[in-house]
Amino acid sequence: MAFIRFFQHIGNFCLMLILWGYFLFGFLFILLFLFIPCYLLTKNSAGAIQKLFHLHMKFFFNLTGRLIPRTTYKIDPEVCALRSSVIVCNHLSYLDPILLVSLFPRQTTIIKKTFFQVPVFGWFMKKAGYVSSSPSEMTGAAMINHLESIKTHLAAGGNLFLFPEGTRSRDGRIGPFNKGVFSIARYCNTGLNLVYIQGTDKLFPPGSFLFRTREKNTITMELIATLTPDYSAKNFSINVIADQTRRIFEQKIAAVKAADPDRKI
Amino acid sequence: MTRQDIENEVRDIFLREFEVENPELDVNLREAYGFDSIDAIDLLLEIEKFLGSELTRDEKKQAMDIRTMRQIIDYIEMLAEKRHAAQG
Repeated sequence: MAFIRFFQHIGNFCLMLILWGYFLFGFLFILLFLFIPCYLLTKNSAGAIQKLFHLHMKFFFNLTGRLIPRTTYKIDPEVCALRSSVIVCNHLSYLDPILLVSLFPRQTTIIKKTFFQVPVFGWFMKKAGYVSSSPSEMTGAAMINHLESIKTHLAAGGNLFLFPEGTRSRDGRIGPFNKGVFSIARYCNTGLNLVYIQGTDKLFPPGSFLFRTREKNTITMELIATLTPDYSAKNFSINVIADQTRRIFEQKIAAVKAADPDRKI
Repeated sequence: MTRQDIENEVRDIFLREFEVENPELDVNLREAYGFDSIDAIDLLLEIEKFLGSELTRDEKKQAMDIRTMRQIIDYIEMLAEKRHAAQG
């Protein structure tokens, strides 16, 4: 038994090397060589890099699907069809943002400052127009500039995906919300599309760099609600929208749990 | 629109949006009530609603330096006067 487990670990380790190898080589070589023509030939270089990200991540998941056949993907077509949307998601794994990038050719998000400090990767993210959540970027005039560019991005058909919990859930439950997500949607005068993600933590759990390849798993992404708040209403309140969003996610989790009581949420 | 109207409206916004009751006029909002830049964005959007017109990017940037209730009231008063003058 220990012998089999040893070989399973070796197998997982090799898969990890292949997948993260592809991921990094993509950034280092493929994107680097494609970036220069994009930068020179296109008017909107951020948009072009977003498309390159999208293609790169699409291939990454294609490769993941081939190498880890026990994990299947069930993506709601309504999610794929979203455009000019603020997409609010629960957060389970580092795979969540990557999966979202693989679905949308034009996408942006707000991410932790630490990701921008990663060599090459951080530089590409900045060039793609992604926004750092660091205080220097999300205060004062810099924040107004970022919000205005997000507004323009949404008007041009791009999506903004956000994780109001700010960090990955360790037990599948919804953590405390940062209401800034809702303020940004309001600033852009855009509705909210709530997308529920399941199963990414089973494939790539928090706290591990190995993919779990042996377990049968289905990664799902489902549009569970679309909220169109009346921002101009006299009694409009960000807190009400944040609470409503939270309730919808909690109800979804309860429904999933009720349908399959043995499932670890 | 009088200065008192503006102050009443701002107090109403603070109670409704930030759950802050009767903030003092000259205290630093960040230090006293944890008012952050996202709150400032919400406040700007409420000000737009109150004035019935969109703020320009420069006007929004100008607001990001505001620290006290009195400065907020001054800012709205200035915007209201500007719009009034523009209307002729």
